[in-house]
Amino acid sequence: MAKEECKALLDALNKATACYHHLVLTIGGSADSQNLREELQKTRQKAQELAVAIRARLTPPLRDRGLGAEERAEFERLWVAFSGCLELLEADMRRALALGTEFPLHAPRRPLVRTGVEGGASGVAARALSARSLRHEGERDFDVEDLHQLEREILKVGEMIQDMEMKVNVPRWTVQARQTAGAELLSSASAGVSSVGGVSVQQRMGPCDLSKALAATIFSAVLLAAVALAVCVAKLS
Amino acid sequence: MAAGPAPLGGHPRAQKPHLSKMERVVVSMQDPDQGVKMQSQRLLITVIPHAVTGNDVVEWLIQKYCIAEDEALHLGTLLVQHGYLYPLRDPRRLLLQPDETPYRFQTPYFWMSTLWPAAELDYAIYLAKKNIRKQGALVDHEKAHYDQLHRKINHTWDLVVMQAREQLRAAKQRRKGDRLVIACQEQTYWLVNRPPPGVPSVLEQGPERGSCTARQVQMTKTVDFYKREIECCRKALGRTRVKSSVCLEAYLKFSSQRGPHDPLLSGCLPSNPWVTDDDTYWAMNAPSVAVPTKLRVEQWAFSFRELLEDPVGRAHFMDFLQTEFSAENLSFWEACEELRHGGQAQVPALVDAVYQQFLAPGAARWVNIDSRTMERTLEGLGRPHRHVLDDAQLHIYMLMKKDSYPRFLKSDLYKDLLAEAVVPLETKRRVFPFMWKPRHSSPSLALLPTSTSGEPEAAAGSPGGGDGET
Repeated sequence: MAKEECKALLDALNKATACYHHLVLTIGGSADSQNLREELQKTRQKAQELAVAIRARLTPPLRDRGLGAEERAEFERLWVAFSGCLELLEADMRRALALGTEFPLHAPRRPLVRTGVEGGASGVAARALSARSLRHEGERDFDVEDLHQLEREILKVGEMIQDMEMKVNVPRWTVQARQTAGAELLSSASAGVSSVGGVSVQQRMGPCDLSKALAATIFSAVLLAAVALAVCVAKLS
Repeated sequence: MAAGPAPLGGHPRAQKPHLSKMERVVVSMQDPDQGVKMQSQRLLITVIPHAVTGNDVVEWLIQKYCIAEDEALHLGTLLVQHGYLYPLRDPRRLLLQPDETPYRFQTPYFWMSTLWPAAELDYAIYLAKKNIRKQGALVDHEKAHYDQLHRKINHTWDLVVMQAREQLRAAKQRRKGDRLVIACQEQTYWLVNRPPPGVPSVLEQGPERGSCTARQVQMTKTVDFYKREIECCRKALGRTRVKSSVCLEAYLKFSSQRGPHDPLLSGCLPSNPWVTDDDTYWAMNAPSVAVPTKLRVEQWAFSFRELLEDPVGRAHFMDFLQTEFSAENLSFWEACEELRHGGQAQVPALVDAVYQQFLAPGAARWVNIDSRTMERTLEGLGRPHRHVLDDAQLHIYMLMKKDSYPRFLKSDLYKDLLAEAVVPLETKRRVFPFMWKPRHSSPSLALLPTSTSGEPEAAAGSPGGGDGET
């Protein structure tokens, strides 16, 4: 069904936007590096692809006059969420451009702000792309090229938003959101149900937290040693 | 942030200068050789680097800018209040303590910026995330904001919930230390931008001054960019500039001339109605009053515009012109004013009446206008609109100003008016026996710093005296 497809794509776009936001947070800080800029590029390109796909799916039903009222309301809801997501993405992209220009990685005019965030964010980007892991393959002057490309992409997204406003007339204020206040407190099982269809693996298989694994092995070793000692004591006595 | 600078029409906002300066200070603190000393923060098992103590910050500021300790402390507190540094132990107390309390720097994305003001949608997402993390236990004012936002941006609430969940899941992909730091950063950002009740907001700015406009970041400098730059420079060259010495002289002259007339600076006689509940002052200075006050008559000598704007002054000026047989000038001027400010439907009739009375050759009250202006006016009379007589009106105005007005000021009529003008007496205040200075009925604000000892008594004395008077 077209609606389920749209919903799935929208969830993917939402995920990509959230991950992009999370990555943009660290530009200019101590975690900023060439890898981060690459991850940003990949994430936003994925987000843009998804946006184009959703737009292609959503525009025909909304321009179809003969659609039933309930169907139309459903599509309008999706449209409002989609355009909101796209605006968030555009704002974050602009912010990324501004921050990226202020904090260039090479020929550093300014040192990076030591924020205490270290460690890579490749997990975040991989999540956005729904992939297991990410390969980094950029050249040396990647960030300068990237900023030029980012500028072009911002213009494209801006044009897309403009176009969307012109082509489809959805008055935002008439749309009734389905989620009530406090809906996010309901367990994420309900969210998982809606997003499971069509979207690939969300969780990573390996243990994320090495320290927890280490603690577990030490504990089991100590337990084994204690059992062995108890057996020896029992045998001796 | 959801609402970036509005590029489609409207001026993009500029970053406020004080914020740019603070950013420069923060960046110079990051210098690996000459920056602030950093330490590591140790929580149970995680170690998070890049913590600074308040003491180090203050010392660095003293050393770098050669300032005293008080000033360094104040500057450091400003940095913390605007969110560039945040305390690690007690995140809600935004001030800099010059001891071992640890602080950390805020990430540039969350630096306060007038270019990227905090948006409602982002705040809603933040509150939703906090709601999830704390299982619904939000602080009171946050709960109130949450409900309010739910009503205001109800149509995007689906997006809010989706984004909140996804952002939390994205954050889980990071190490624990990073996750903690990022959560602290976001919390500080919202503490600064949406302060809890009772905390003054650093965001409050005065009225917008739209003079500084900023452009968006431009990586590729196209032809359009250079064309805009050239246009901008050309306009800047063409602007008239006045030397500040000239400006300041005019300002001083204005202040010294108007000082005694200002009711706030020099007190108002007989008494300030707001203080004593006695509105004699307003009655005596009503627009049309039989005998004007002396200050008012003196004001007519400041400029011709003052004279014309005061109805009493205008009436006396008309009398004077009648003695000089040039009253038609002022009548013509008044008729033109009526045309300019009157109703649209009356415009053709009024223009015709004015022409018949003042401008036609052989008219009853013919005004003396030079030939060029007369030609232009007569041409325009064919298609009458409310500004068709503007040129003629201006000509007559300048004539009166240069010719009749100086004569009026030197005339006997004016001198008599000055002599007859009323100077109201100050209402007598009852002088308490233990106060050794009689109160002025409206304490002059300009005297506040010097007479601080007298002020509280004045404040206590005047309402008490006012009650006694009425």
